[in-house]
Amino acid sequence: MDDLQRREPTDGELIQRIAVGERTAFDELYRRYARAVLGLALRRLGDRGRAEDASQEAFVAIWRSARTYDANRGSGAPWLYAVARNAITDGLRRTPEPPVDVPDGPGREPDPSERAEDAWQAWRVHRALEVLPEHERPVIELAYWRGLSQSEIAESLGIPLGTVKTRTRSALARLAHELDGELE
Amino acid sequence: MSTRPPDFDELVGSDVESAERERLQRVHDLLVAAGPPPELGTRLSTAPSAGRRIGHSRRRAAILALAATLGAAIFGVGYLVASSDRPSTDRVVAMTGSGGASASLEIFEADKAGNWPMELRVDGLGPSAGGGLYQLWLTMNGELAALCGSFLAERDGSTVVPMNAPWKLDDFDGWVVVEQGKQLPLLST
Repeated sequence: MDDLQRREPTDGELIQRIAVGERTAFDELYRRYARAVLGLALRRLGDRGRAEDASQEAFVAIWRSARTYDANRGSGAPWLYAVARNAITDGLRRTPEPPVDVPDGPGREPDPSERAEDAWQAWRVHRALEVLPEHERPVIELAYWRGLSQSEIAESLGIPLGTVKTRTRSALARLAHELDGELE
Repeated sequence: MSTRPPDFDELVGSDVESAERERLQRVHDLLVAAGPPPELGTRLSTAPSAGRRIGHSRRRAAILALAATLGAAIFGVGYLVASSDRPSTDRVVAMTGSGGASASLEIFEADKAGNWPMELRVDGLGPSAGGGLYQLWLTMNGELAALCGSFLAERDGSTVVPMNAPWKLDDFDGWVVVEQGKQLPLLST
């Protein structure tokens, strides 16, 4: 019950704590955003090694820029996105290799605004996934990115089919809550 | 490698009121559009040290690699003197997967009996959700054809495991890593 009542610090609160040098806040922010930042870097740079470099640069930039964050001007996620995106772009400028955008799918190439929108949405979704509890995350990953049916997930995880369905719906509802801004 | 999106109706069932159903459908669409988040791998498993410059890690890595190479060369001369029967590398096969997972399969020269000793290095692939085994297969025309070994992945996603293939490798056209009992390649050439 205590776990349910304890409120997690918002991203903005973590950034404010980072601004005064609190390392634990930085670690927590990293846990929440590491995969989102790497995903953004991979989308922008294509190459895994350069994307890892850019991710690390992005978090250093977040650490250094935290004092510039103004909670009155918006929540933490857009600020983090902007800082990370700028750091990744800076990295791109320093290394003259041609940028490679990961294809979004077959058909025509998306225009820059569509790519930016896609990148932002992916960023938000990947961040939101970090809120899923350990027992819910696998059902989402197996369903969406391993292509397993609900029955196959039940078999793979060794849990009843009904539990898979319950956890899936709960996870989607949790993500919907986290992504409320995207769903408006 | 793309995976077919799951069937939304199968995921949420039919007993959800329409407003909530619509909300979950939009989450579903966002998940499909976003694709899988990448695995962090060993290097990004922890936050960078914030008090010092961490950029140019590849250059630093290159310097370290050079030092390691020199060290390995010195060691290698001694090792070869002491052990001249170590098999030499025949070929190295690269595999990639979704979410940034990758693998390098070093295949050593076959022994007299025709066994190919190998070393599989996997990065970005953690333990399977069900705790099951991963398997390395040779493929032919996209089908699993010959099993070359099973392994469990380390929690940090980086695993090195020796294997052996008692097959005529040129009879096959690819390599994949799958979860035991599954057909879907997690890593492939």
